[in-house]
Parts: sequence; C-alpha cells; structure tokens
Amino acid sequence: MELKVPRRTTVDLEPLRRILEERYRPRDHQEAQELIVSACQEAQRLYGWVPPEAAEAIAEHLGVTINRVYGLLTFYADFRTRPPQRHFLWLCYGAACYVAGAGRLVELLREEYGMDEHGDTSDGTLSVHVFNGCLGVCDLAPAAQLDHRAYLGGLNVEGMRALIERLRSGAEENNGGAH
Amino acid sequence: MAVLTDRAAFEAFTAAARAKWDELWAGDHWVISVGISECSIAKGALETYKHLELVLSEGHIPAVLRRVGCAGWCFAEPFIEIKPPGSPPIVYGWVTTDRVPELLDSLRRGEWRPEWVLGVRAPEAWQGIPPLQAHPFLRAQRRILFEHAGVIDPESIEEYIAVGGYRAFLRALFEMTPDEVVAEVKASNLRGRGGAGFPAGIKWESGRRTPAWPKYVVVNSHEGEPNVFKDRRLLETNPHLVLEGLLIGCYALETPYGYNYIGGEHALALRRFQRAVEQAYELGLLGDDILGSGFSCHVRVRTGGGAYICGEGSALMYAIMGQRGQPRTKPPRSVEEGLWRRPTVLNNTETFASVPAIIRNGGSWYASLGTKESTGTKLITMQGPVRYLGVAEVELGISMRSLIFDVFGGMRPGYRFKGVQTGGVSAGPLREDELDVPVDFDSLTPLGGMLGSGGFVVFDESVCAVDFARYLVGFSRYESCGKCTPCRLGTPALVEILDRIRYGYGRPEDLDIIRYASKHIIELSLCGLGQVAPMPLLGMLERFQEEFLEHVTERRCRAGVCPIEAGIAAR
Repeated sequence: MELKVPRRTTVDLEPLRRILEERYRPRDHQEAQELIVSACQEAQRLYGWVPPEAAEAIAEHLGVTINRVYGLLTFYADFRTRPPQRHFLWLCYGAACYVAGAGRLVELLREEYGMDEHGDTSDGTLSVHVFNGCLGVCDLAPAAQLDHRAYLGGLNVEGMRALIERLRSGAEENNGGAH
Repeated sequence: MAVLTDRAAFEAFTAAARAKWDELWAGDHWVISVGISECSIAKGALETYKHLELVLSEGHIPAVLRRVGCAGWCFAEPFIEIKPPGSPPIVYGWVTTDRVPELLDSLRRGEWRPEWVLGVRAPEAWQGIPPLQAHPFLRAQRRILFEHAGVIDPESIEEYIAVGGYRAFLRALFEMTPDEVVAEVKASNLRGRGGAGFPAGIKWESGRRTPAWPKYVVVNSHEGEPNVFKDRRLLETNPHLVLEGLLIGCYALETPYGYNYIGGEHALALRRFQRAVEQAYELGLLGDDILGSGFSCHVRVRTGGGAYICGEGSALMYAIMGQRGQPRTKPPRSVEEGLWRRPTVLNNTETFASVPAIIRNGGSWYASLGTKESTGTKLITMQGPVRYLGVAEVELGISMRSLIFDVFGGMRPGYRFKGVQTGGVSAGPLREDELDVPVDFDSLTPLGGMLGSGGFVVFDESVCAVDFARYLVGFSRYESCGKCTPCRLGTPALVEILDRIRYGYGRPEDLDIIRYASKHIIELSLCGLGQVAPMPLLGMLERFQEEFLEHVTERRCRAGVCPIEAGIAAR
C-alpha cells in the first residue's frame, strides 16, 4: 500500500516547544521516558495529529530516540500520524452503542462514504475514529463527538447521512480547535 | 492556601472549612448546584450553567452558583440542585437551558414543579416531594464511594475536607502503623474492583514483604472496556477520595512514590485528578514530611493513548515506563517486580476509593456489608435499553434481577429483555431464567458470567446473538497487542468463522471449530486478554445455541441483523 504521509510539512513547532520547555522538565531519564506519551498528546492537541517534525522535537527534548516515539505513536489507537481531514468524528463503538446500532453507522461510512482503514472518508470531509471503548454517555447511544466539542446522540443511518451532507456543504464550521 | 505543617493546623483548617460549609447551607441565600461531568456536558450542562449564571446576574435572586460532579443519575441529566432559603435542597432533572427561566420563575412563586423533581436531599419528604432515597433508582443503593457525589465540588479540597475528607489518611498517619493499616484492609476482605477480585490486603502484605527498594503504588484508572464508565465518573465527581486512598496505600507500603495511570480519553477525569493532586501539594497533604509526620509522598499522573491491553497489570507498567503496553509472562508478579522492575502494588481506582471508609470505620464494618466472600459495595454501570441509565452503587450480593429491574428500572417501553452480557468482554451472557443469581465475585462464574469491573449490557430481541458475539470477539481482536500467537492469530480466526456464519456461508461443523479453537486460545494465551477473549462467544453459543444453529442450517437470522442473504444467493 502506498503511504500517504507527507514527508515535509510546514508545521509551526514554536507552541509545542514552549509547552515542552514549560511543563516537560524531567528530573531524570526515568521520568523522561514516562513523559513521552503525554508529550505526544500535547502535540496531537495542537496539530490534530503528530507530524514527524513534532515527533522529532519531542524525542530531542526528552533525550529518547525517534524510534521510541514512533513505537508508541503506532501502538496507541488515539494517535494520528497523518493529518485529519476537515472534520473529526469520534464515533463511540462501546457495547451500549453497538446494541443501539452503531455497527450500521460504521458500515454506512465504509460503504457509502469510502471510509478507509485510517478512518478518512474519500471526499476529504471527515476523519472518523471508531472508538473501541466507551465514551460514557450511554443514554445517548449510538453517540459521537464532533470536532472534540459537540456530542451527537441517538444517531441512525439517516442522521449520519444528514450530518455528512451538512459537513460537506460547509455549513458546519470546525471551531473545536485542532483537538 | 498556606501549607499545613502539623496535625493541629489540619484540625484548624478542617474546622474553618466546616464552618464555611455550614454557612453555605444555612444562609439567607439560594444555593444552586449544577452537576458538571463528561456525561452531563454531553447533554448540555455547561449551557445550563451559563444560562443560570446569566439569569442570576440580574440580581433578583441572591444565590450562590456552584459546580458539582456526576451523581450517577445520568438518565436525568442535566440535573441541578436548588436550595431556596428555609427548604432542603431539591434535585431537578432534565434541566435544559429552555427550562431554566421557567423553573426559576416557578420557584420564586413557591411552586415546586414536582414533574421535574428527582427528590429532596433530606431524610424526610418535604412539601409533598419525596426524598431522593425513595426514588426507584436510589432505593436499593448503598452509597459509600458516591456518598458525596453531586454534593461537593470536585475541584475543591476544602469542601472535601469539610465533609470529612482526609480524616482516614490522618488517622492512618498518626494513629496506626503501616502494618495496622494493612491488617485493617485485610480484615475488610476488600477484593480488587478491576475484575479479578484478588484481596487487596493480601496484595499489600506481599508488597510490604518484598525487600527491594524503592516500591511503587499505582492506581489503575485506565478503564478501557467498551461497557464500563464508573472509574472516570468517580474521578470526575470525587477525585480526592481516590487520592486519599492512594496516600493510605503509599503509607501502608512505606513508599513516597504513588502513580495514577488514567486513560487518555478521560479528559475531564484526568484534569480533575491533576487538580486534586495540585491542591493536595498546596495544602501540604502531598510532598515531603507531610504534616510533620516524617512521611513523604509524591504522586505522578500518567496517561495512556487508547489501548485496552494497558489495563492489564504488567502492560500498564510498561505503558507508564514509556514502552509499548504489552504484557509479559508471570512470574515474577508485579508485587515482586513491577514498575521499573521494583515491587509495585497495583489496584483499581474503585479499590483505592474504598480504603478511606475502611480506615475510618474499621475493616469489620466493611466486612459486614455485602456477602461473606464479596464484601462491601460495588459501582455498577448498566447499558442498553433500560430505563435508568447511570452509575449505581449497590451492596454486593443483590440479585441480577433486582439490579436490572429495580435499580435500573427494567426495560424501556417497547423493548423485550433477551439477555444481559456480563464481565465486559471477558465472560458470557445470562438469560432471563438465570437472573436470580446474586451479583458478586463468585456466583456468576459457574454460569459462565463474571462480575468483572461491574459493566453489564442488557440487550433485547433486536440484537442477534451471533452478531453480538462477533462484536465482542472483534473488540478483543482489535485490542490484541500482537505479542503472543494464540491471541494474535486465534481471535481473527474466530471473527472469520463468525463472519462466515453471519454472511450465510456457515456450516454446522463451524460451531465445533469455534469450541476447539477457543480452547486453544484460552489455554495458550499469555495474558488475561487472550485467556478470556473467546468467553463471550462460548457464552453466547451456549445460551443461544438455537440461534447459531438457525444461522448455519436454516440460513436465518431471527433478529434480521446479519447480512445472511449473501450466502443464500451464492448457493
């Protein structure tokens, strides 16, 4: 498969560097290793994904190898190593949502909107993270969170179609920040 | 806040906090508390809060507006608690922004709007409004961990101390030896709340016996199961309770190193626990030489990035150490060689939160709750089409039937009970005729079920047993860390067979292959994830065998969920 990771992007590393300087000051190598995941989370919060440059900056700051950082980025499901599309949908795939029909939503996204294994729909509108866990808002099942901000509840196939049409038309601004 | 340097200073601080607390509830003003946690934010609690702020800023009502945590009644959120002068606090549910002005207007006229009321937070009924305890959701509950949930502000150490917080820690610190603390926890027979049910006191004792240094005490707040959300609600609503339990644990192990590992998805729980740690440092309840006792304790908060396997003990420790969270073979056990290859005591969030009450009231008091072998209370989350969704705290030993049909209110209108999946993704379901079993650590096991961490999923006739089994095994397949072969290759094989059945290509002998392959996965897998991954499937197969047979012989899915036509068309 062709990897679509951009080799060089223009990422402003300043905000990340500032956060690392301020809050990531390990006292020893032991603590430095403990902080890798959380530093990557800061990067993802800033950029919506963890760009290679950010991963390098983190490795350099904490004195660990870049392999170590990528080992974690590719192990944990929460991290994105490629940029998200225009909107980000956190789709709960917990048992309550499954019982209420979340499986049909995943099928719909795959079949009608060409969602690939990275969760990106083919039209560039949406990046979906099918969350293998529980968002903990089970009375809204099937539930989702759009752009890290607004919760959507009681989603069905029609509701999901309507949502994507709305996002496609640009009616919905992504003002939830990168993360 | 000034750092408290000795016990007398803490007592003085407590007295001041308590006076302030009493004043809050006795004054001539209204007290309005809004429950704000991840679950209520999803339903618009922040908007309700902002609207209240706006209305109150007009100054017609002299009021104190507060934020409190989740109180467990997710089904009624957003909820607010209002205490007009001279009345007990009244809890209102479903207060969305559009209801705010109407509710406040009514209250000012002295109309209590009983249709939106959950109850009054008082022992007796008031003005015809029943007490909260009479609500069907709360009647059978016994709240110890959730005693102050929805009452105190989770971001205020002062309020936690005002209602008796950190008393247990002080009692341990100044009146008990570490050995006595361990003895008390042993006497309580508190069993690990994460799923395995191993007695916490025995774990602590073996941690004490291991001579290596330093030692670590770790809270497991990872909570990655697809049907449990109790730990994050506990951390969101009363983070100091967990911190106090962790402090007592560190004192019992005589170590200054405490950790809390919180799943990265639980953003608010993480923030509130971090805030609690900061406040404890500011007050001198964390740090060096706490209250002049000579005991030091430092707590670090670490987060994960969304991998279910990190809830497993050894994987969690690798995750904290900044490695990929993959388990290792045991022995050595974690109490001998855990975090940074040092003795480590790891317990669930809820286990630690249970400790302060044990130290305050004694181990024998705790042992008198629940059943003989499963003592105390347990947080339970129930999902599916039941009436009262939320977090309940019940004494162990309550029957499953009572739990589903009394506490959680039974099925919503229009839904028929088919089964209840137990033990997260680690065990099988129960059918309607098996519901009289007591909910505790041991009774569910002979039926193929499990208490686990207390997450149950009720499902109705619209859910197909084959499809549900596929979902549960599919979860384990996705979350398999890939380290050992039986789990890495076995779980996809099960999913493949199930998909064959779902798509109408199944053969009767597939059911035997499932049983055979499952046996291998269970016996050969390295860690708990693989060892239990086939359990939900085997449970479904045993409980709903006729449905599996219908799929493979008649090519029929009675729930109409499976895309079984594909196989029919191909024949």
